[in-house]
Amino acid sequence: VMEKEKRHIPDNTAFKQQSMPAWSPIISAKSALPVFFIISLAFVPIGVVLLVTSQSVVEHQHDYTDCVSVENPGVPCGLLRMNQSQMTQPCTCILNITLETSMEGNVYMYYGLTNFFQNHRRYVKSRDDDQLIGQHKSSAQVYSCAPYHLAVENGTLRTIAPCGAIANSLFNDTFTLSQGDIEVPFLRTGIAWPTDKSAKFNNPPPTTDLEEAFKIYAKPPNWQKPVTFLDRNNTDNNGYENEAFIVWMRPAAFPHFRKPYGRLNRLGSEYNNGLPSGQYKVTINYNFPVTSFGGRKRIILSTTTWMGGKNNFLGIAYITFGTICFFGGLVLTAVHLHARNTREFYLHKCLFVAQQNCHN
Amino acid sequence: RTIYFNQPLEEQTFLKNEISTGKYNFLTFLPLFLFEQFRKVFNIFFLIICILQQIPGISPTGKYTTIVPLVFILLVAAIKEIVEDYKRHRADDAVNNRKVEVFRDGTFVELAWTQVVVGDIVKVVSGKFFPADLILLSSSEPQAMCYIETANLDGETNLKIRQGIPATSEIQSSEDLLQLHGMIECESPNRHLYSFNGSIKLNEDRLLPLGPDQILLRGAMLRNTKWIFGVVVYTGHESKLMKNANRAPLKMSNVDRTTNMQIWFLMAVLIVISLASAIGSEVWKKETTQRWYLNDTGTGPKGFFMELLTFIILYNNLVPISLLVTLEVVKFIQAIFINSDLDMYFEPTDTPAMARTSNLNEELGQVKYIFSDKTGTLTENIMEFKKCSVAGIKYGEGISERPGCYFYDESFVENLQTKYVQSNYVHEFTTMMSVCHTVVPEKEGNFRYQSSSPDENAIVKAARNLGYVFCVRTPTHVVVRCQGKDESYEVLNVLEFSSTRKRMSVIVRAPDGRIILMCKGADNVIFERLSEKSQFKFETENHLRDYARDGLRTLCFAQTELNEAAYKKWNDTVYYEASTAVVDRDKKLSDAYEAIEKNLFLLGTSAIEDKLQQGVPETIATLSAADIKIWVLTGDKQETAINIAYSSQLVNNDMSLVILNDSTLEKTKQTMEEAICDIRKELTCLEEAPETSKFALIVTGSTLQHALHKELEETFLDLALSCKAVVCCRVSPIQKAMIVELVKKNCNAITLAIGDGANDVSMIQAAHVGVGISGQEGLQAANSSDYSIAQFAFLGKLLLVHGAWNYNRLTKCILFSFYKNICLYLIELWFAFYNGFSGQILFDRWTISFYNVFFTALPPFTLGLFERTCSSKVMLKHPQLYSISQSASKYNAKVFWAMFANATVHSLMLFYIPMYSMKSEIAFSSGKTGGYLFLGNFVYTFTVITVCLKAGLESGTWTILTHIAVWGSFAIWLIFFGIYSHIFSILPLGSEMLGQADNVMASPVFWLGLILVPPMVLFRDLLWKVFRRRFQKSVVERVQELEVEHIDPQKTILDGARQSLSERAHLLRNMFGMGRNEDRDRSSSLRSLQDANHGYAFSQEEGGVVSQSQLIRQYNTSNERGSSY
Repeated sequence: VMEKEKRHIPDNTAFKQQSMPAWSPIISAKSALPVFFIISLAFVPIGVVLLVTSQSVVEHQHDYTDCVSVENPGVPCGLLRMNQSQMTQPCTCILNITLETSMEGNVYMYYGLTNFFQNHRRYVKSRDDDQLIGQHKSSAQVYSCAPYHLAVENGTLRTIAPCGAIANSLFNDTFTLSQGDIEVPFLRTGIAWPTDKSAKFNNPPPTTDLEEAFKIYAKPPNWQKPVTFLDRNNTDNNGYENEAFIVWMRPAAFPHFRKPYGRLNRLGSEYNNGLPSGQYKVTINYNFPVTSFGGRKRIILSTTTWMGGKNNFLGIAYITFGTICFFGGLVLTAVHLHARNTREFYLHKCLFVAQQNCHN
Repeated sequence: RTIYFNQPLEEQTFLKNEISTGKYNFLTFLPLFLFEQFRKVFNIFFLIICILQQIPGISPTGKYTTIVPLVFILLVAAIKEIVEDYKRHRADDAVNNRKVEVFRDGTFVELAWTQVVVGDIVKVVSGKFFPADLILLSSSEPQAMCYIETANLDGETNLKIRQGIPATSEIQSSEDLLQLHGMIECESPNRHLYSFNGSIKLNEDRLLPLGPDQILLRGAMLRNTKWIFGVVVYTGHESKLMKNANRAPLKMSNVDRTTNMQIWFLMAVLIVISLASAIGSEVWKKETTQRWYLNDTGTGPKGFFMELLTFIILYNNLVPISLLVTLEVVKFIQAIFINSDLDMYFEPTDTPAMARTSNLNEELGQVKYIFSDKTGTLTENIMEFKKCSVAGIKYGEGISERPGCYFYDESFVENLQTKYVQSNYVHEFTTMMSVCHTVVPEKEGNFRYQSSSPDENAIVKAARNLGYVFCVRTPTHVVVRCQGKDESYEVLNVLEFSSTRKRMSVIVRAPDGRIILMCKGADNVIFERLSEKSQFKFETENHLRDYARDGLRTLCFAQTELNEAAYKKWNDTVYYEASTAVVDRDKKLSDAYEAIEKNLFLLGTSAIEDKLQQGVPETIATLSAADIKIWVLTGDKQETAINIAYSSQLVNNDMSLVILNDSTLEKTKQTMEEAICDIRKELTCLEEAPETSKFALIVTGSTLQHALHKELEETFLDLALSCKAVVCCRVSPIQKAMIVELVKKNCNAITLAIGDGANDVSMIQAAHVGVGISGQEGLQAANSSDYSIAQFAFLGKLLLVHGAWNYNRLTKCILFSFYKNICLYLIELWFAFYNGFSGQILFDRWTISFYNVFFTALPPFTLGLFERTCSSKVMLKHPQLYSISQSASKYNAKVFWAMFANATVHSLMLFYIPMYSMKSEIAFSSGKTGGYLFLGNFVYTFTVITVCLKAGLESGTWTILTHIAVWGSFAIWLIFFGIYSHIFSILPLGSEMLGQADNVMASPVFWLGLILVPPMVLFRDLLWKVFRRRFQKSVVERVQELEVEHIDPQKTILDGARQSLSERAHLLRNMFGMGRNEDRDRSSSLRSLQDANHGYAFSQEEGGVVSQSQLIRQYNTSNERGSSY
């Protein structure tokens, strides 16, 4: 009967009675003080290390947008590329670079574009990842690539491979770095993310015969050669699996960006310690038009450290924030000391009032 | 309608006797639920976003990224609705399955209420509720009388008498019922409780009229009557009670309204930034048309419109999609906390507190006005004879140790048995207690008594316990068994009670042959009629004052011996003429009574306790300290109401009463204006704020009618608000609601109504928050309330602890929900500046849409459920802390915009710091670069951890669940990130994300950012908190600290109060302002506007079907009483 009588009694659990053990931090000057000092103590040295590391990076940037054609002296290649009809006309230009100091270790070559909105929504989505992973797809299936999804080639309407605006606008300038007459060997592999190379970009079957695999497709309209010509020398770096292509296919975050072009081949050459200082010459096959929309093109040579490329910002940010925390800590110390004094005063006063009350 | 009863062949189709207060059933659930959900602008907004996303080419986030979370959220809401509705159905079932005896096929069978149909004859026994509206046929009492308790319907304490028509009164058994056939004609179901018209035709007889005296309404309870037979006329939702029960209106809390407002703000912000972005996009397109690498960029007006839609979709999550469902779930669990609070569990009736709606949890933290019913809410509705004063001596001052007997005083009993001079008075007093009344005894082991007056019942019962057992009532005599010997008093006349006479008398012939007039009534009425020679006036008056101060109900007892001849003369002429008068009989009778009720000798006074519920005075004091105003609205009489106001400490002797009891509009106006004037005068001379006024306003229902008139409304409110306590008596249910509405409309404050009976339903529904007292039999009030508790005293914890906590929790939860969304989604806006306002997202579409439902879903819950500024003990000890939630200082437009600004700054930092960290783009030592999504995942991860830490920073209390929420959310994101980055190998999903996790985590820049960004973003917040605590310490913080240091905060608060006159100090001063003595001294010299400090109160039915004197003449309890078989 007792059981029945009390059948509505609530459960006496810590959760339901809201009596779970809890920690109630009181964020006062005293308790926040150590946090601020610890942060400043840790961050300033980290920042210094980062800044020093970043400073050790050697980086050379050269804008070649307006470089002058070798074939038509006096005509800037950029101007030539403004004109649609002269798009296929070859234009080579030469850029002289002086390395004041040597670039030790791994040296990477980048091309940089400015005012090129690779992150534009319509551009970013204009691709078909299923196609790029090696599936044969009809033009209807790659509709996200429209209008770069089909083209007439050899009299038939064909699906474009690779389709879409990104692929169509593939960066197609080439650089040759040479010291005197000796070409500095640069590898065009090992510049894409390994995950992209292994899982995201696969040639369609039959993978052993690329010509066969891409037979039914059309090349992107802006391309001069089909996708199977991206690297004729290396079957592992051809077709969709071409690393320069893969790198291009990953849209940059900002309209001012750089992408890896190649890395110095240090094995078995005289450049096994990097690039020594001296005069260098870059021969550029100027194909990529940017002048029409006010873009700029750069070529960048850079070494790296454990934290990547030149990056002063992080070091400065660490040092600045660490310093701010230090001053914050100082202010808090002052506040805390002041508070303690008043607290004592306050307690005395409490006692005093209590005594007064007693007497009354 | 026409009802054939006892004719089973007749096909009669009426509504089933089943009530259903549930919202849905199986079939209606889906359409109704969807309708309910999509009535909210919020859900419609997301539905529109879903539809927009289906338009090809404009959605930056794909087609399903809104619909999936929306469906998920609706599912959660649906589950919650189902659980809540299931509970309602269970409660209905409990009522529907109550048992009643129904006459079927010649015998009574016990059936559930649902099976009762119109035309059934049912038998209801004492103490049970009527299952439907019944026509009374006959009862166990003479002449088909029965007592019913209608407290549940109208809140009146006294029992009412109903009487069947004579033609059916002889039906006493099943056999009789078998012979009975007939037909009842009556009006169609309506909601008028006090009117009924119909006629009955018995066995082809002629039609006999039926009126309200024959109807027994559902919701009323049979009392003091063994059984009744009744024909069911209205069932289920057609019963008058149910017709009166409006479906509970959908109440919206203040916080909800503010939140809605803020959602609108956010939508406006959304539109503004979408428009700005779309314009930005146009500007960007105009800049140059030569971007050959882009195909169609969509120019022209159509393009602009499409861009606009794109941006609306892009930014839509500024409005947190999960907010409503988070709130629903949080409130649901908060309601569970309320339901399972052991401090609000009432053991004697096995009743826990119950949140019937969870919409108003936080509203409980903002209550400013409480409107309380009296009977059953403040009081237990039990009258107990507590004390008495006989011949100038007080008895019963100690505490009775005998169980079930509330008055027991050794000296009283001694005096009864011995033969002092004093003992004579005591004997006479006790005799009068057992003789002078209209109670009918009932032999059931010990004697039980039935009466329409609970006061008389208490008196007779007390006399019984003292050994003066009133045992038999015949039409002419009462027999009192006194010390083992029966003494028979012949009742010559009963001079009835009425509220104008304020007294009742009996004239009896004592066993020794003397004729004695015994008169009991209000002190002032009795004192006027005392003989010159009457003693003890002075002492009794003093005692009366003492009793009144304690809030006891007093009745003065006086008697006089009548001279045989004088009595005969009065009885034969004055009384006879009056009682047979055709016109003005009542007036003439009362004149006749007046003529003989004189020259009385005072015996003493009784003090009856209208027993308060446990802890009521303490609770009222606590609530007052929390700056909550308490108004008592009762259907009961003025005297009773005032008594309770005193005994519950709502009104004390320092306070002056302002009594409004005028019968006309003009007079009411005049009185009110005078009162206001007086109060103003007192206040200006005291230089006091109205909060500390020493006035209490007493209003009666009839005056209220005028006071609530459009014209006087404002004056009345002025007056009421400048009084410390307001007591309204004799108010009808609708007036209760009107008062609540008046305050609600004009004061811009949160009101709470608490009551237990059906008469409180309208008030409960009108107030912002309705609280019902549950556990008593009647469930009407509890069922239509928002919260039900078993005891008034639980209101303290409900408001001061749960209310304040819930408010604090919910507002933190809401603000945080807004914050985290603004933080993340404004980043899209900053990114838009770098992507040509194309609407490109920085993050992956699914990580965006799961932000609210997974990665940052938990922290709002911990804030909403476990946040706690002070422990419940402290909250109750310092009711002043309530003012924080009460004043809505933690959640208003200002707070919202401050949060918005903060979130904007945070989002800027969260975007720009990673952006500049990645300036060189070489994120790996291997010289590789990232991409937009690579950066996006940086930013996203930093945002998730920052937002979670911010939740931690906002948490004043870290339970294990807080840790799980803060660190767990981050872990969930990392796990999801890891899995999602590889899912494209298996499913055609997340191609952009392929390999992101591997590369992001391989980048040292990511880890460096992870250490730097969250502390940097939250630095200001932390510093601010420290400074605020130092320089602008809130009361809560001070109490918290002192609690930690084990110093009694009370003193500190008091001390702090004296230091400055800032707003805080003002608050503090209010807390302890009561302690200032100089005010009290002066207030005692205040002139009372009207001295109402009498303890007189008496309840009895007046003007009922059967008058009291008729009633007692009909009983002969010396015979066997009728039984039903």
